[in-house]
Amino acid sequence: MSEGTTLFLCRCGTNVADFVDLEAVKAWADTDGRLDRVCIHDFLCAPAGKAFVEETLKETGSRRAVMAACSPKLHQKTFEECAGAAGLNPAQVSMANIREQCAWVTPDKREATAKAKRLVKAALERSRLHRDLAPQRMECNTDFVVIGGGIAGIEAALQAAEAGRKVTIFEKDISLGGEMIKVEELAPSAECSPCLLAPRLSEVRENANITVVTGAKVTDVIGFFGNFTVTARKKARYVTDDCIGCEACFEPCPVEVPSDFHLGLGNRKAIRNLFPGSVPAAAAIDPQACLRLNGQECTACVDNCPFAALDFEQKDEIVEVRCGAVIVAIGAEVHVPADLPRLGLDGTSNVFTYAEFERLTCSNGPTQASLLKRDGTAPERIAVLHCAGSLCPDGLDYCSGVCCTNAFMVGETVRKQLPEAVVTNIHDRLNLPGMETEAFLRKQLEEGTRRIECRTLDKVRVEPQPGGEIRIGIPGQDDLTVDMVVLSTGFVAGARARELSVLLDVEQDSRGFLKSDHPILNKTGSVIDGVSLAGSCLQPSHGSQSITMAQAAVGRALSRLVPGRTIELETMVSRIDPARCSACRMCAATCPYKAIGVDPANGRSLVNEAVCRGCGTCAATCPSGAITAVHFTDEQLIAEVKGVLHERV
Amino acid sequence: MAKVKVAIYWCSSCGGCDEAIVDMGTRILALRELVDFVFWPCAMDPKYSDVEAMQDGGIDLCLINGAIRTSEQETMARLLRRKSKLLVALGSCACSGGIPALANLKSLPGILERCYLKNPTVVNPEGTLPQLESHTADGYPMELPALYETVLQLDDVIEVDYYLPGCSPSGDMIATALMSILEGKLPPKGSVLLPDIALCASCRRNATKPVQLTIKEFKRLIHVQADPDQCFLNQGILCMGPATRDGCGAPCIEGNMPCTGCMGPVGGKDQGVRMLSAVGGILEGVSEEEVSTALDGIADPAGTFYRYSMSSSLLGSRREGNQAPKEGAP
Amino acid sequence: MSVFEPDIVAFVCNWCSYGGADSAGGLKLAYPANVRLVRVMCSGRIDPEHVATAFREGADGVMVMGCHPGDCHYRNGNHKALRRFRLFERMLVQMGIEAERFALEWVAAGEGKKFQEVTTAMTERVRLLGPLAIHGNVSPKEVTHG
Repeated sequence: MSEGTTLFLCRCGTNVADFVDLEAVKAWADTDGRLDRVCIHDFLCAPAGKAFVEETLKETGSRRAVMAACSPKLHQKTFEECAGAAGLNPAQVSMANIREQCAWVTPDKREATAKAKRLVKAALERSRLHRDLAPQRMECNTDFVVIGGGIAGIEAALQAAEAGRKVTIFEKDISLGGEMIKVEELAPSAECSPCLLAPRLSEVRENANITVVTGAKVTDVIGFFGNFTVTARKKARYVTDDCIGCEACFEPCPVEVPSDFHLGLGNRKAIRNLFPGSVPAAAAIDPQACLRLNGQECTACVDNCPFAALDFEQKDEIVEVRCGAVIVAIGAEVHVPADLPRLGLDGTSNVFTYAEFERLTCSNGPTQASLLKRDGTAPERIAVLHCAGSLCPDGLDYCSGVCCTNAFMVGETVRKQLPEAVVTNIHDRLNLPGMETEAFLRKQLEEGTRRIECRTLDKVRVEPQPGGEIRIGIPGQDDLTVDMVVLSTGFVAGARARELSVLLDVEQDSRGFLKSDHPILNKTGSVIDGVSLAGSCLQPSHGSQSITMAQAAVGRALSRLVPGRTIELETMVSRIDPARCSACRMCAATCPYKAIGVDPANGRSLVNEAVCRGCGTCAATCPSGAITAVHFTDEQLIAEVKGVLHERV
Repeated sequence: MAKVKVAIYWCSSCGGCDEAIVDMGTRILALRELVDFVFWPCAMDPKYSDVEAMQDGGIDLCLINGAIRTSEQETMARLLRRKSKLLVALGSCACSGGIPALANLKSLPGILERCYLKNPTVVNPEGTLPQLESHTADGYPMELPALYETVLQLDDVIEVDYYLPGCSPSGDMIATALMSILEGKLPPKGSVLLPDIALCASCRRNATKPVQLTIKEFKRLIHVQADPDQCFLNQGILCMGPATRDGCGAPCIEGNMPCTGCMGPVGGKDQGVRMLSAVGGILEGVSEEEVSTALDGIADPAGTFYRYSMSSSLLGSRREGNQAPKEGAP
Repeated sequence: MSVFEPDIVAFVCNWCSYGGADSAGGLKLAYPANVRLVRVMCSGRIDPEHVATAFREGADGVMVMGCHPGDCHYRNGNHKALRRFRLFERMLVQMGIEAERFALEWVAAGEGKKFQEVTTAMTERVRLLGPLAIHGNVSPKEVTHG
């Protein structure tokens, strides 16, 4: 192989030939003593052209090829392939864009030819400084970590486990289940939620590939795609592995506190599980409520446990898991507009949020699915107020997209147990996405749901009256008097969204939800390679959407993380010369991917080449010039600059 | 053994480098055993004709400090180059222009105007400016060296063998460099006689920097009391350490003052634009407004980033109008 | 008398602004041949030292073009460019180089028209300013004054 260059000039039919005098360019190039050969061809990218490139390079034995042709975005790879067949390293194949950036935009042929010469000169000077690049590959860990144990997290875990991978689910509560476990019937199909969820939960419990860690808060995530380490703090449950969840300790426990799971509408004991069928089944003690853990005498649970499974000395644990991909499925939170007096949500009247309504109609709720007012009697007239606390100046400024469907479910749910009850939905424009919701709405209306359209929902007033009635003031219309109101509220980003976004270095959108890598092309990806997002943490989602997103997220990761297969790393990375690096640390914060850390051997800054994406921002920062951006070095760029400036043509 | 013949000359300088040589203290007496000072205007009373009379290459080692701004300085630099075997650019001014080179931010006509014509403490009703040639009242001719348009560094006019930057390099640094030269331990010609690495490598405050170093706003020393144990940049105080050569022992840092860059550039880079790039890169501002507000905290970017290296700046110097003859120029 | 033809170097990022230039090409939107492009992966790669070198090597005007803020292919490389070059612009003015000789522009891959506009405008602006000569580090000229 010679150290020289072969220059190819492409006519591109008439596309270049009509605008640039290629013969003149060839004549000019022929005077450069360092070129092995200069050829003109009609269509370098056509089969005949590619064959021509390969043959010519085999003949000349050149180390490098420069193609003066179209944009590298079109054909860089094409020419790397045919030149590669002649033995050239891809980094030794360069292009001068004399079509899109010269022939097509310079009407004067003389000017276009002069510019073409400059661009070719620049490419030649730059390419003389090119070094061969060898692709780097890395072994990867093919296991998964799922953060969040709701429907999306459960689905992700099951899909990954089915592919034979080990999965760890970190869930912050004491059981899996998320939001969907609190619902009885799913809108709009009225599918039984426990019927769908319970078998999934059993599968998770029984699957040997899945480890469930509850009471867990993820505290650190380091690494990169194929090589993450996730650390979490697991809160003590104060029961040992001998606990089978027989629940014998619940009844005797003397402490009763309001239950978060029941949204305060019912109580639970200090020792409890989340719901019948929890995963894990084991009980857990609330250290704030428990008498003994607060220094008082009490042995009620110990005395009643057939397995001696209580352990008051248990400590929080740090759990560390290695994985190749992280799926974030932390869900969203229900928006509770308690600070809006006009909505009447005072906690004592029969004004409830939709989430509370679900608790009151769910078989695992405080009333075993009997819809009862606070005085224990059944309601007769129920109003459902859409957009409560949303799309108003004093609430959320966005539509959550899932609530209208749920709001019309109220009628069906109520009529199942109270056929005489009258349900009225008060709404503005409706957001009923998908093909089924129109038929669903018609069915509700046919079966008795009434509706009141109101264009100014933010002026509707919900006023509980003494005696139990609730008067709803609707601007421009008669007041509506009911004895129960369900506020259809929106959703906000999960409480841990901000913390996790910082830990994982993913972004939040303007509403605090976690941001997709791309809303169309990569909805379940995040800006960090290897960290995927599924379910309501992206935007409020129905169960089917959450499940679909989980499957997509896992699918994408599975296709790239294959046991035995190595992943290809970026070749055009940045490298720090430890002899020139003063550890001044001006570089690390400029890296968009936090790819720069510290070399423990010598304290100098060090680029993790597995994370580096080759943007070169660090190389532009280093004040000592200790960082080289491979294939975009200062010398190469300046050679190109001199080429476009100096050539007096 | 014959004594080594040493010459020391000063150009546009403050005299600090000559003082630093004297600062070697009693070591200068030891040096006196090995060395013969043949020409040193600061400490002796030689004449230029003495130098002219010397053999070419007759001076073994010549140290020149100060920047070049007058014809006299250039003439002497060239003369001494001819007469010297080894020539060292001593101090920031000779190496990269130093403080005098900050004059490159002004144009020469502007400087003359400011000094001689429009100045609150000058009375010059006839508007007299210094002349290259004039004469006394009784006809005795007088000459002044020409003042150049720009301040140059030493290697702009002559070939320099070695560089020892600093403002000034300390007596210790000079003694060490001289001893290496006298012992014949010489790096390749054209080298700086100090490690090619930035100050942060030896600064004791470097360990206090977070790996992810960012700056929210710039604080000036007239406004804040600097924490003596924390990296200046981490306190929002501009420190030129990352873009400045190591080797001085960081006395400024020890004195709770940030580095201002007197040891000049490192890694063969343009000190001013590289530091500017590094500092700009770690600002926290996102919007144009935030960035602009943060940058208002750097009152004088050119003077800050090129304080000692304006002569070696890629951007050159200011001038009245910037039209230069070029093909097709109007 | 011939018209002054400025030499303009434009550093463009691979993903957005280079694409914008290709777009201009595809749409046959002509712009002055004075503007020649040097491609980098991200506008964050461009260091004021590259720009200063370009001026020194004979450029009368220099452009740096990247993705719109928020759209950077590498998350926020263009933010680094913004911060660096706003500071650089301030220093250029101090050094006596007109601020109009440098331009930082955001051009998306589909913005062929914008690419045409900014390059044409830049060429005309710099044409009016005339050629740039960097002084200093050249043979010193004696100045007669009086």
